[in-house]
Amino acid sequence: MRILRRPHSLPPFFLLLALGAFAQDTIKVGEVASLTGKEASFGQSSHKGTLLAIEHLNTAGGVLGKKFDLVTEDNQSKAGESATAARKLLSRDKVVALLGEVASSRSLEIAPVAQAAKIPMISPASTNSTVTETGSYIFRVCFIDPFQGTVMAKFALKRGWKKVATLISVSSAYSVGLGKYFKETYTTGGGALAAERTYVESDKDFKAQLTAIKAAGVDAIFVPGYYNECALISKQARELGLTVPLFGGDGWESTALLEIGGTAVEGVFFSTHYSSEDAAPAVQAFVQAFKTRWNGETPDAMAALGYDSALVLADAMKRAGTADAVKLRDALAATKDFPGVTGKTSIDAQRNATKAAAIFTVKNGKFAFVESIAP
Amino acid sequence: MLTVTNLSVAYGAINALDGVSFVVPAGGIVTLIGGNGAGKTTSLRAISGLLRSRGGTITFEGQDITRLPPHEIVARGLSHVPEGRMVFANLTVAENLSMGAWLVRDRAVIAQRQVHVLKLFPRLAERLRQTAGTLSGGEQQMLAVGRALMGGPKFLMLDEPSLGLAPRLVGELFEKITTINRTEGVTVLLVEQNARLALAVSSYAHVLECGRIVMSGPSTELASDPRLKAAYLGG
Amino acid sequence: MTEFLQQLVNGLALGAIYALIALGYTMVYGILRFINFAHSEVFMVGALIAWKLGQYLPHSTLWGGLVALVAAMTGCAVLGVTIERLVYRPLRGTATLNVLITAIGVSLLLQSVLQHPAVFGATPQPFPELFPVINFTLGGLTASSSQLVVIVVAALLIVVLQLVAFRTRMGRAMRAIALNPAAAQLVGVNINVVISFTFALGSALAGAGGVLYALNYPSVEPLMGVMPGLKAFVAAVLGGIGSIPGAALGGLILGTVETLAGGSAALSTYKDAIAFAVLIIILLCRPAGLLGRPVAEKV
Repeated sequence: MRILRRPHSLPPFFLLLALGAFAQDTIKVGEVASLTGKEASFGQSSHKGTLLAIEHLNTAGGVLGKKFDLVTEDNQSKAGESATAARKLLSRDKVVALLGEVASSRSLEIAPVAQAAKIPMISPASTNSTVTETGSYIFRVCFIDPFQGTVMAKFALKRGWKKVATLISVSSAYSVGLGKYFKETYTTGGGALAAERTYVESDKDFKAQLTAIKAAGVDAIFVPGYYNECALISKQARELGLTVPLFGGDGWESTALLEIGGTAVEGVFFSTHYSSEDAAPAVQAFVQAFKTRWNGETPDAMAALGYDSALVLADAMKRAGTADAVKLRDALAATKDFPGVTGKTSIDAQRNATKAAAIFTVKNGKFAFVESIAP
Repeated sequence: MLTVTNLSVAYGAINALDGVSFVVPAGGIVTLIGGNGAGKTTSLRAISGLLRSRGGTITFEGQDITRLPPHEIVARGLSHVPEGRMVFANLTVAENLSMGAWLVRDRAVIAQRQVHVLKLFPRLAERLRQTAGTLSGGEQQMLAVGRALMGGPKFLMLDEPSLGLAPRLVGELFEKITTINRTEGVTVLLVEQNARLALAVSSYAHVLECGRIVMSGPSTELASDPRLKAAYLGG
Repeated sequence: MTEFLQQLVNGLALGAIYALIALGYTMVYGILRFINFAHSEVFMVGALIAWKLGQYLPHSTLWGGLVALVAAMTGCAVLGVTIERLVYRPLRGTATLNVLITAIGVSLLLQSVLQHPAVFGATPQPFPELFPVINFTLGGLTASSSQLVVIVVAALLIVVLQLVAFRTRMGRAMRAIALNPAAAQLVGVNINVVISFTFALGSALAGAGGVLYALNYPSVEPLMGVMPGLKAFVAAVLGGIGSIPGAALGGLILGTVETLAGGSAALSTYKDAIAFAVLIIILLCRPAGLLGRPVAEKV
């Protein structure tokens, strides 16, 4: 029996070998994204941008004579899923680099996995400063929270808001980070924090905090959260008769904010990474290409950052002349003035990107560019 | 009136009843006697549908009721007064009685039956507004029987009615049971640990031991049986 | 003072929703002595049914809102009865722990099925304004019409439930089974019908809770039931599980405590922990809950 069985087990074995050989012809790049779940709008945007970049690169002939193969894993926006997804990409797909995540909390899950495996990771949009502190293989192509918090504090002072309240999600590394740097710059600049309230990720009811904020009588409320809760916070604030402006960071930028928030989000302000209205030819070319590829959808900041993250990776690979992890890492660290759609990207000694921020508002149910604030 | 054939009931792997067969003729009082765990209560619970039998059949007035749910068995006129009385402790005596007439829709009939039950158990009449949980053991037992009578049963199964009652009350209760049987023609199946008492009121008796019937006969004969005397009648 | 009163209004609206969900837990527990953990998913399904109908119904009308509310309650009643019939009934009579674990399984199954992109997906969707939205102001106090709808509907449903329990034949049967299931069966109560009815009633209330919750926090998704479900369970235990007024009281206390804690600077981070601490303290003082009767567990 044993002898008879043997020939049957051989073909699959050969098939595996053949597949392995075939896989050598492409460069596999892993992506962890929140394609579904609470922050799906972010994940979808960054994924669409990343995929478009990979397609552009492949059309141009790829890098080192090979084409890219983007392998994407969805983490459903859930805590705890990202590390698993990253491990899967590293062990099953043997990717040469990891792209993702948008949310800082989830990038912080992926970073240790990438660092331990010594595989470069580039976060497109995680702005919390600790993300790249995880280790020498962790990079990002966006500005960081100290900068974003500082920008919004400067903005608030410039608008003449003397007294503001903060409402911060304590379960989000991003929110806490922005809140901290906002407070530093704002109070140093002469502003007064009249009320500081917090919430946690799964909260839906913010009326208690908002009632207390209303009683404190403030000029504006700084809410460095993500669009879902920001929309609910805006709505509940208006229901309680709070008419002062709300403002926050790049977590606000999603069309879902407009859908859920409706008229309640009119007049809010937030900082973000780029403007699709920027007249620069590179930006307009990207906007057009994105619209053509994705049913006329206008790319938001997450899409632009996703696009840039893949381009920065390809650029480093070209300069390194190999996909070998150590050389790729060194090339990434040496990135200087790379022209992307979100501005010129230079990687500093902490593996962060320094670039300008754009301030947006909501006007007549649409996002509108207000001003740009340089680093 | 009631025919039990080869009835078996198991709790998990333990056989509580193992092929029990007996007949209760219309109009009679039949008693099941036996020690703790002999299977007396299990027999009654299987007949009233509270327990699922594993084998055997139960027929009531010629119809198979083995697989019927309890409420359908009650609807056929077979009423079970469970061990430990099981009155609705938080409800008043009056509410307990009206629960007994759950399946009776005619208000006139319910009122008539309540008058009848209160005549039989005058003490309940004094306590109508009291919650059942505050009654004495004997009063609760009377309430349990009264509640069963509210449904107008043809057949009454009583499980350990004497349990925990003062001897004076036991006598009174058994008098009532005899009355119900004689004057109203209600057939009675009585389970008792007090074998002497049970044999005194019944016409026929079965002795259960470890889930089997080990002895059967007219009550007067069994009362003088030496083996039974030794085991259950205290010499 | 205004701030405190405003927090009370907020707490009342939140607590009313907890109360509606808690009633379902408490009724099922009263009759079957087990916690139906799938109840929070029935609540979620109620919100999703109304969300789906919101695509066809006119928004901001009283009748549109009522149609969605009634449809969600009916849908949830059917769901509750189906779960009981298919899952819990075959397990009746086995160890309570088995049923409990199965309930958790049903809960996870419902979440996962609804998270499938073909059914609903994991992405939160904006919930339409089904009822007219007006803000009422009274001397510095503000209440939105959705808050008022919550309080009014919850109060009405609780009164209706109390009438059902104490004034109807089915209510008597429910109470009889809660007191003694065997005795109830022996007087001729059809226990299956009563249990189905209980599930229908409890699930309909959860469905109403789901719609009201979504009106106030207009973003719905398949995991939205988890936290409110847990809080409502706490409310049911707090008030004395098995007691209908207890569930209502527990919901209101929990909603108020949570809101008051959430509004204070020092405590807002710990508001959930505080809600649970209140539970622990009350259970230490009154193990059966505020309005519960101490009953020895039946073996």
